[in-house]
Amino acid sequence: MYRDRVVSVIEIRVDENACNGCGLCVKDCPMQVYELRDAISVPVRAASCMGCLSCHEICPAQALEHRGVYPSRRHYIDIRVCEMLNRVI
Amino acid sequence: MTDDTIREMKDSFASSTVYRSEDVPLQCVPPPDELEDTLHGLMKLNGLIIRSLEEIAGRGANAVTYRAGRKYGHEVAKYFRKIEDVEEALKELSNILHGQYTIEIWKPADKDRYIIEENGSTFIYLVFHDCIVRQTLRRNGQPQGGPLCLTLFGYVVGAIEEITGRKAKLEIVHTGPNACLKKLILQ
Repeated sequence: MYRDRVVSVIEIRVDENACNGCGLCVKDCPMQVYELRDAISVPVRAASCMGCLSCHEICPAQALEHRGVYPSRRHYIDIRVCEMLNRVI
Repeated sequence: MTDDTIREMKDSFASSTVYRSEDVPLQCVPPPDELEDTLHGLMKLNGLIIRSLEEIAGRGANAVTYRAGRKYGHEVAKYFRKIEDVEEALKELSNILHGQYTIEIWKPADKDRYIIEENGSTFIYLVFHDCIVRQTLRRNGQPQGGPLCLTLFGYVVGAIEEITGRKAKLEIVHTGPNACLKKLILQ
């Protein structure tokens, strides 16, 4: 949808206990949202986040949490595989 | 193949439906929610075509797909009303493409306007949220930003050129699993 960016704010949280300070999110983010401070990633420019979630994919510690991100459609997930996984889990 | 197997196969396609020339199907059969296998088949096929094109044509594949997309964009958008304002044109395009692609005009927090002028060039950042190209590539485990992405690029550029009458260029800034950032450069 065409939405006005002014009203949609993304909130980012970093689990400080989980973050290992590898800095991959700092390198990967095109908008320089993160900075490393005392070997912990800090989202210093969360307002510039466009919600691509590359940082989620790249974070080895799964320490990131985004709120207010528009979740894009994912047709590539096979419903039958999901059903099977849900049964197993 | 045994006679039984052949008979079984023939039976599975046997039908008593009578088609007449005036019978125009008014609905999608089967219903769209039962078309998951077809969708996955199409995504797989698209991915394979692009992979093969890259293998044969190398970097030339990008030029081919971009050109194809651009032509398609011009073709589709020539029936739209002409709008000079680029932001308005993008809004119109986003509404038209809704369901396949959703596009958001975007700006970094430190910018005041969506149309940014820097180093003598004028551009607009676009965030592509829903995108069947991204889904296809991720379904097949292929990297983003390749020839299939350029088809979409061409499409957007062609449509914008047709709607606004201005020359445009698109650049990939970043690709992600949930959204991609692109730069529409206006000339």
